[in-house]
Amino acid sequence: MFFAFTEDQELLRSTTQRFLEQRSSLATLRKHIETPATVERAVWAEGAALGWTAMLIPEAHDGGCVTPQPIVDLAGLAEELGRCLYPGPVLETNVVASVLVSAGTPEQQARFLPGIARGETMATWCLSGNGSTEPGAVEVTATPAEGSITLTGRACFVREAQLCDVALVHAHGPAGPVLALLTLPSDGVSIRVLHSLDVTRRMHEVTFENVLIDAKDLLAADDVQAINAVTKRALQLATVIQAAECVGAAEHLMEVTVAYLKDRVQFGRTIGSFQAIKHRLADLTVTLESIRAAARYAAMTLADSQVDCDRAVAAAGSYVREAFAHLCGESLQLHGGIGFTWEHDVHLFLRRSKTDIGLYGEPYVHREYLATLLESAIDRASTPSSDAGISTQDPSRTGNSSTDSSPTVSSTTSNATSECSNADDSTADISNAGVR
Amino acid sequence: MDVVIPEIPVSYDSYRLELQAFIAEHKPNLEWKPGVGLRTPELASDVDALKMWVRKLHEAGYIVVRHMPTTLDQFQKRILSEELAASGMMSSLGNALVAGAIATFGTPEQQAEFLPKIATGEHIWTQLFSEPDAGSDLTSLKMKGVLDGDCYVVTGQKVWSTWAQFADYGYLLVRTETAPGPAGISAFILDMKLPGVTIRPLREITGTTDFNEVFLDEVRIPVANMIGGPGQGWKVANASLGTERSGVGVAGVDADLHRLVALAKTSKRNGKPAIADSAVRQDLARFAARAIIQNALTYTVTTRADTNTSTASDAPVTKIWFSELNLELAEYATSLQGASGSLDAGDPLVVDGGHWQDSFLYARAWTIAGGSNEIMRNLIAERGLGLPREPRGA
Repeated sequence: MFFAFTEDQELLRSTTQRFLEQRSSLATLRKHIETPATVERAVWAEGAALGWTAMLIPEAHDGGCVTPQPIVDLAGLAEELGRCLYPGPVLETNVVASVLVSAGTPEQQARFLPGIARGETMATWCLSGNGSTEPGAVEVTATPAEGSITLTGRACFVREAQLCDVALVHAHGPAGPVLALLTLPSDGVSIRVLHSLDVTRRMHEVTFENVLIDAKDLLAADDVQAINAVTKRALQLATVIQAAECVGAAEHLMEVTVAYLKDRVQFGRTIGSFQAIKHRLADLTVTLESIRAAARYAAMTLADSQVDCDRAVAAAGSYVREAFAHLCGESLQLHGGIGFTWEHDVHLFLRRSKTDIGLYGEPYVHREYLATLLESAIDRASTPSSDAGISTQDPSRTGNSSTDSSPTVSSTTSNATSECSNADDSTADISNAGVR
Repeated sequence: MDVVIPEIPVSYDSYRLELQAFIAEHKPNLEWKPGVGLRTPELASDVDALKMWVRKLHEAGYIVVRHMPTTLDQFQKRILSEELAASGMMSSLGNALVAGAIATFGTPEQQAEFLPKIATGEHIWTQLFSEPDAGSDLTSLKMKGVLDGDCYVVTGQKVWSTWAQFADYGYLLVRTETAPGPAGISAFILDMKLPGVTIRPLREITGTTDFNEVFLDEVRIPVANMIGGPGQGWKVANASLGTERSGVGVAGVDADLHRLVALAKTSKRNGKPAIADSAVRQDLARFAARAIIQNALTYTVTTRADTNTSTASDAPVTKIWFSELNLELAEYATSLQGASGSLDAGDPLVVDGGHWQDSFLYARAWTIAGGSNEIMRNLIAERGLGLPREPRGA
């Protein structure tokens, strides 16, 4: 067992951290807040050279990763990106790359992947309409035409649509979901910047009016099962990256908060010496450790497609963003009046955290899915003939162990190499969860 | 990054089968029905049967006590641990944390005399640390020892000692030096049969007797029974307290989570199984997420321990996480039973044999024992984050 980043991954992280401190610090970010664009293409290109967009792309398409667990490599990077609230669509670009790798045609892969890997192409994700980001809440309709389709409707909360070169669009077709690649800008596509709670990132409303999509730009055309599987995997990847970003951001905020409480003097004492304050910081330490453990476990299980990955990712999606938002709120409160000023960075984190909760699968959706998994695990456990991979631990092996020998670490760990449960098991599909 | 534990090779199947046969043959039949957690039998006859059982385990080469040399390899240890857990029978009696203290700080004579008999179960130990006025603030303990020839004469009171009513020896902290606070404390091996030692079992909220008060009245303890040097007792104790805290929660809560989901299938909400209720489903999922994180935290701190990167917060964080999750699970499961939750073990209508009621009450042992969670929070803040120490009163 080695539940930590490897030396190579740590090297990648520290290199990224140094780069971000120089090129995309919080101070730099602040300068962009009042301007239309918060992302600099030059920084993106340099970040791509560090591997930000290459991890999930095969070498044949100019991609490359650090270890045999590219999603863990990416999660390590994402922690650093979160630490400085990096505003660019790293999550979306990697999700699109991953969808192209698993469902794209060779022609589509050759057309888009090298550009993404090299940082020349930025990609975004048109997942949902206004309101919930549950899949199924799509407000774009796909209508078949001669050798093509047309898209009509709108997508909301689309990150950096103005800046990106390509979008992955989810739409409703007559026979089920449709996945399309849309080059931006395109005829019939209009983009409006949303006034966002998160002032550090730009989100857009993208409106489609009879937008013509050539058949060669469809992904997994007419294969509903494949589209559902790809969508599920894309959302899991998004959850893992979001969670990792939360970890880095939480680490930074904890450092800032502890430093402030060691420095601020009231009643003749540093306020960090008051037990009322100390215990809240202790609880935040528990929160930080727990979100780190949840985020990294989810990344690892998804990277290896372990049987436990559905549970692990749903746990991270259920817990991490809400816990991070709580940590941000506590940090603000502990800063007192200074934390209420625009000048202090803590509100940037608070805004980010609240925004993330709504994007790419809300916590309650993950919880509903987790409940479905719990239910099916217990049903399978009570059916002796079934030997399907039960992702929870064999309950007979836990219980009140009174042995004092070497600690028995949960045997959830031993199911290391089997595949994730398939998305064609419709009762256990996150894209159906929450709409029961 | 991995949490892979190597699979046990099939060549170990015969070892497991032999062990299963051994357990089936020698497992004692006890009057006692143990509750959750670390509990103490009620009858001396059961304790005798358990001693015999542990002795047979040991004679057959099944060593389960930490700090004892063993020839078992990693797979044999895991099989042993799994099979013993499945047997439901305890295999280490009393509070064996003293083994670590003796192994690390004891004299060669102490090690030779006491360690093997802890392993065989011949000696049962109790821990004599806390006092009525020295719980969380352990270093303010008052039990006093005065050197008189080759003995310390010791007087005072201890409390919260598990297994003391059946113990042969006690792992005792006494104030022997004039220095205040931790520097005045020494650690001893106390023969519980010495004149002047009185044991009074305490009945706890669970209705069972898992702890004791222990009174010492001018008990003469030989100098040779000191562990470490005079004034080193706090250092000795800290080594074993760290072990106690980091050991908490290692088993995880997966079994109880599984039990809770089963309960939600049989309990009713709005005339339907509770598990069909969306509010209940959200609650169950919250617990599931915390249970998964419990395991992931264990992987985290285990890896840090393996790579010498442990932090001062590791043990307190895992103790808080486990003990609060364990408590809230039991609270929730008891409530989920509706009015049936008001029943207790012994009633024929009680759900799940009263497991949840016992767990609900016993859960407080985990949030309080081994340093209350409030002390854990002080440790995280002061040792983990480097915030100023609490000012001490006069």
